[in-house]
Amino acid sequence: MKRWMALFLIGLMAISVVASGCIGGGGGGTTTTEKKGAIAIVYDVGGRGDLSFNDMAYLGASKAAKDFNLELTELQSNSEDDYVKNLETLASQKKYLLIIAVGFMMTDAVKQVASEYPDQKFAIIDGFDKDMPKNVMMILFKENEGSALAGALAGLIAANDGKDKVGIVLGMEIPVLYKFEAGYRFGVKWAEDYYKQKTGKEAKIDVLYQYTGSFGDAAKGKAAAQAQLQQGAWVIYQVAGGTGLGVFDAVADELKAEGKKMGPPFAIGVDSAQDWIKPGVIIASMMKRVDVGVYTAVKDAVNGNFKGGVLELGLKEKGVGLSTVDDVMAMFNSLPEDTQKQKLKDLGFNSKDELKQYLEQTRGQIPSWIWDAVDQLKQKIISGEIKVPAPMDKQGIEAVRKAQTWQEMENLAK
Amino acid sequence: MKKSGSEILESLNIKALIESLIAIFIGFLIGAIVLGAFGYDPLSAYYWLFQGALGSTYGIASTLRYATPIMLTALTFALGTRTGIFNIGAEGSFYFGAIAAVIFTNIWANMWFGLAMGMLLGALWALPAAALKVYRGVHEVISTIMLNWIGWFFVLWLIVGPYANPNDPNKTIRIPIEARLPNIGYGLSIAIIIAVIAAALTYFLLWHTTLGFSMRASGMNPKAARYGGMSPKKAVMWSFILGGLLSGLGGAMKIMGEGPTYAISQGGANIYGFGFDGIGVSLVGRNHPLGIILAALFFGMLRAGTALMQAEAQVPLEIIKVIQGIIVITVAIPGLYDLIKKVARRGAA
Repeated sequence: MKRWMALFLIGLMAISVVASGCIGGGGGGTTTTEKKGAIAIVYDVGGRGDLSFNDMAYLGASKAAKDFNLELTELQSNSEDDYVKNLETLASQKKYLLIIAVGFMMTDAVKQVASEYPDQKFAIIDGFDKDMPKNVMMILFKENEGSALAGALAGLIAANDGKDKVGIVLGMEIPVLYKFEAGYRFGVKWAEDYYKQKTGKEAKIDVLYQYTGSFGDAAKGKAAAQAQLQQGAWVIYQVAGGTGLGVFDAVADELKAEGKKMGPPFAIGVDSAQDWIKPGVIIASMMKRVDVGVYTAVKDAVNGNFKGGVLELGLKEKGVGLSTVDDVMAMFNSLPEDTQKQKLKDLGFNSKDELKQYLEQTRGQIPSWIWDAVDQLKQKIISGEIKVPAPMDKQGIEAVRKAQTWQEMENLAK
Repeated sequence: MKKSGSEILESLNIKALIESLIAIFIGFLIGAIVLGAFGYDPLSAYYWLFQGALGSTYGIASTLRYATPIMLTALTFALGTRTGIFNIGAEGSFYFGAIAAVIFTNIWANMWFGLAMGMLLGALWALPAAALKVYRGVHEVISTIMLNWIGWFFVLWLIVGPYANPNDPNKTIRIPIEARLPNIGYGLSIAIIIAVIAAALTYFLLWHTTLGFSMRASGMNPKAARYGGMSPKKAVMWSFILGGLLSGLGGAMKIMGEGPTYAISQGGANIYGFGFDGIGVSLVGRNHPLGIILAALFFGMLRAGTALMQAEAQVPLEIIKVIQGIIVITVAIPGLYDLIKKVARRGAA
């Protein structure tokens, strides 16, 4: 025992000598400039670095903190058991203008802590509860509207190439995903109609759909997408987080097997502008602008416009939308420098400009009238001329699945 | 049967306690060096860690809350090692305890019924491994690991399938309000009291009953135990069953005693990993029920302190996990060393 302890202490001393050198060099000081206040953000277990939800929330929070001169405190959650503790700890400090909870999994925790601290303002992304206390702003997105654009894009690409199937691969079967599926179906039906009016030719496009039951299993996503490709799906929309990365792989493999560098077949990304992950494979992404949501909540809290209840962000509020090349480059630029370099190297590009050109080239695979058509649908949704269904339960989505035309679906939305 | 305090201490082994305290100190020291190397102020980090864990009533309540489930799974592991087996099946029994609580309290909304069924299913899930060990000589590490996975996927199926909440499909149905464990305050339920009682009973069993004596005797030397007229098979059997019962209780109390939802999350996120954490707790507590109470509180403290350590000392969670990992490993080394020594000795015998 003694000898063991001695060895241990020697090792310890060796480490401390090395480390003390590091401390001298790396001592980062905290610069304290005059801040107007503080905001805090609690991430769910996905945490930072997910290239999606939590990172987007950070983007919005850090921009707001900079614009309004606020101190930003970030808290990660080790497990679900940490949600209440993290929120409660922050609330008890009584110094935060606003506490933002990222993700629907925190709904119950926010509800509980918010009722214990009625004077503390909270915002929750994607979480909804009809009995939520008045000091909570629930930020929701009209994913159905953005997904309608994805559906229109997919439908028109398929119709234009004389194909009759498109696919959608989803995560767990939870109500919020019904909104994605319904919007996508709506867009596809709208595309059928548009194509007929434009060319006079009938187009009948089926939507293949699969709920994989997971948001973090790329292998499952790949298997689901492969099955859909085999059945003839021409474009596949992924709504499955990490599972969806497998969808990109499957489409990329298919292109490789056909000896093509660029689609079709194409994949459509989700949540953030994911096109840069596999340029040539991903035609566009349905962005859910969590950053816009977080920024809006902070802005309202700073300006004294904070209101409890639901704040819904759609195409009009730029809360959702189809990615442009500029969106993709902005997303790419927000990645850490090393990641950018590595990614460019992996893709075989020498500069960001080459990536940008390649993305533009990918989009050029599709006739411009399709892009114009999608934009037309977007304008009509923004103006309120067209309404996209947003089913919240099993019954609702079943009705949308049965509907034969987009007008029928629109009636469900009313 | 009257026992004085000094006898309890004797069984706890003062030397072990001192070793553990030194190990804790060294662990924190290495942690401080790593913190410093990453450019964080170790003193401020540790200050906020303790402030978060012990500095407020809420902090203390959080510490106790985090300590509860791992205390019980640690007892499972300790019962195993005391009997000479390496039982890592606590994880599986924990799942079954949790799902049993959900299922049976929704049949009869009674707290005691829920706890009893949790214990029963936890113990039942330990039976296959026990039987395989006793009658077929299958090594318990293999069987319990495999059974953990079988249990995991079975319970996952129950969570997403028959017991999913139709109104909130990412969770199971909730424990009815009447069947939830009474709240002491600050999110802490009486689960901690039940866990401490369970630890005390385990201590009593091991050192003050015939069964406990035969368990410990078989653990030290099964041949000698048999020569002494005891049945090591029976001891091993009971060790598995009682171990499963304790972890099942832990799983049931995790769901029945912890808000805000009182349900299992989809993917089993709030019931996963406690059995494995229990192994660490047991090693730190030197496989002694009273040591385990202290060790579980120590682990709970580390967990409870993370929020303020992040918010005030600005240390990211990833670094905190590294530091805590270092501390836990250092602290577990003496216990691990003992265990290896014991195994090596038995192998040689």
